[in-house]
Amino acid sequence: MTMKMRRYVAIGATVLIGSSLAACSGGSTPEPGASGNAAEGTITAEIAFWDPYPQHADGSAWDEHVKACAPDGATIVRTSAPQTDLFNQLTTAVKEGAAPDVVLLDNPMVPAAVEAQLLATAEQAGIDTSGVDENLLGPGIVDGTAYGAPFGSNALGLYYNADVLQKAGVDPASITDWASLNAAIEKVVASGAQGITFSGVPGEEGVFQFLPWYWGAGADLSDLTSAEAVSAGQLVSDWIGKGWAPRSAATDNQSAAWDLFLTGEYGFAENGSWFAAAATDADFSAGVIPIPAKDGGVAPVPTGGEFAVAPIQKDDASDHYANAAAVIDCLTDGDAGLVTNETLGYLSAKPDVRAAQVTANPVWEPWVASVEGAGGRTTELGGQYVDVSASLSEAIQGALNSAGDPAGVTSAFEGAGGF
Amino acid sequence: MSTLAAAPAAAWPTEAPGIPVARRRRRTSTWAGIAFAAPLVIYLVLFYAYPLAQNVWMSLHHFDRNTFVNGGAPFVGFDIYREVFAQPRFWPVVRQTATFTIVSITVQYVVGLALATFFHRGGFRLSSTLRALFLVPWLLPVIVSGTTWQWMMNPDNGVLNAFLGVVGVEPVWWLSADSSLMSVIIANIWLGIPFNLVILYSGLQNIPGDLYEAAALDGASAWQQFWRITVPLLRPVTLVTLLLGLVYTLKVVDIIWIMTSGTGTSQTLATWSYGMAFGKGSSSVIRYSEASAVGTILLVVALAFGLIYIAIQRRQEED
Repeated sequence: MTMKMRRYVAIGATVLIGSSLAACSGGSTPEPGASGNAAEGTITAEIAFWDPYPQHADGSAWDEHVKACAPDGATIVRTSAPQTDLFNQLTTAVKEGAAPDVVLLDNPMVPAAVEAQLLATAEQAGIDTSGVDENLLGPGIVDGTAYGAPFGSNALGLYYNADVLQKAGVDPASITDWASLNAAIEKVVASGAQGITFSGVPGEEGVFQFLPWYWGAGADLSDLTSAEAVSAGQLVSDWIGKGWAPRSAATDNQSAAWDLFLTGEYGFAENGSWFAAAATDADFSAGVIPIPAKDGGVAPVPTGGEFAVAPIQKDDASDHYANAAAVIDCLTDGDAGLVTNETLGYLSAKPDVRAAQVTANPVWEPWVASVEGAGGRTTELGGQYVDVSASLSEAIQGALNSAGDPAGVTSAFEGAGGF
Repeated sequence: MSTLAAAPAAAWPTEAPGIPVARRRRRTSTWAGIAFAAPLVIYLVLFYAYPLAQNVWMSLHHFDRNTFVNGGAPFVGFDIYREVFAQPRFWPVVRQTATFTIVSITVQYVVGLALATFFHRGGFRLSSTLRALFLVPWLLPVIVSGTTWQWMMNPDNGVLNAFLGVVGVEPVWWLSADSSLMSVIIANIWLGIPFNLVILYSGLQNIPGDLYEAAALDGASAWQQFWRITVPLLRPVTLVTLLLGLVYTLKVVDIIWIMTSGTGTSQTLATWSYGMAFGKGSSSVIRYSEASAVGTILLVVALAFGLIYIAIQRRQEED
């Protein structure tokens, strides 16, 4: 009994404490972000650094790269948690006045973090945003003020298994719009292979994967019920309905979808540039093309990747901001900036560093156009994006579950909303 | 207290200067009592009453990430509850929670009782080994068993569909929006059987064996013995098992979350509340107040059943 009981008690306690520690303090908070400036602070002996990469353990290349960025006389203490947990922990930490010096925050979360008054401005924290591409900087700008800087970006593309395509008689260059893509998948499936893998998992990850089709259809985030929006839902729904995509796409995250592609049974996979290096190690010959838009051309993909930000500090703000300025500058600038991106499998947010990456590593070449043409998820809607993303995630789930049924897809997009 | 303290003073005026011995002793013992009770009371208040009160308090104020951090969440009365009730998914989620809970505990109990009776009558050689095997679901971390169920229920290459294929049944899309409730119920039943088995088995051991001997001598069949002896004498244990099962099942998050993230019909009040409290699942928007409101509803339901249990128990004691 104790085992099960303990489990429930633990969950109960987590929910209770989680939702109620919430309300406990408060009191007199100084106007957030009003005080403190990196230029007036001195670097402290210990610098707290949070990132959303628990897969990079202590002693990994990333871990060592981050710690090497500690200024003289200081050490970096690095903590990792998955995206959502990191954001929640940041929320609580700022509330308790115990925020870390630097956080790498997923870019669509930045406007929500700014609205919750969790982040210091780039100016305060001494973060240099010059030389960063405008489309990549977009999510970090709220009401004309910059908060943090992106060090790199990733993008989505359409990987293909050249061996499978050759056997099916499909030329990847012939894929220029949805019709030719569908024709290619059909041929692949007819040849006895599987069609395409993608991630439709509930939440931001599935939305991120869906947006190239959504934007590629000409749909707009301000109207989820438009005919264009529904047509994008119909596209992925049909893949499930026809058996071209695995039904587990509705629960697969991007890693699971990638693992399916690595089995070598699938012709195509929609996935991210962070797998570009891994693709060269696959047991088959893998290639990548940009994701096609509905009526031809390259679909706009959402910008992926994290922002380096400095959270609001209650005490000794200037010192913490000085820490942030030093560490972020080290991680984003010059040669170290290149190492940051190569280690994470990202393309730099700065054109000159990106060019150096492509020269050194030709695997990046097909991705440059995608990153440069990518659009910020939050650029249009700001802090409202998270609500729209939640509705869109529901619509995607409904569409995938409809398995091609047009009435089901339409009602999924029209009925999405609420909480 | 004041009347108690005043009375002896008036009754023994001769002991005038100083405090009466009895009174002094009483006061010392009162303080000692408080001192002994204090750790428990502090613990209860700090870890039970306070979080509960906070939960209710949060559901009456409108919190978002900003007011959570910086304070100033406005008091909105029961607006949050009204908003939650008005969600189109509220009643479906309530129905799903009810289905999940009732089907889970009924099947768990029936199977648990059948197995407990079997092992109790048993006495065969592998009895204890088999009984130990039934505890496996309990010993595995839920993250392991949940993930394993998810793999087994994979619609395209899961072992369950492969098995169904062998016996000629169409494959099932286990974790689709429509079937996910059934799937998580199956997994949860598997998870809960050991608990029922253990409790009911120990309950059976407390029933005196001579009752069965006497009944057998009187010519009662095994079936009659079960209904006339086992069931009535097991009633108190049954009540506890069902009540605990109900409270446990009502707030199950882990197994559902691991398998489906609470999508489709597998959404229950508990997973809904969890998703909103931590911005997980399809929405990354944190809804502290709405999550607290749903949490409070769950607490009230659990409390109601707790009171029903106490009432039934009292009536049994009176009988």
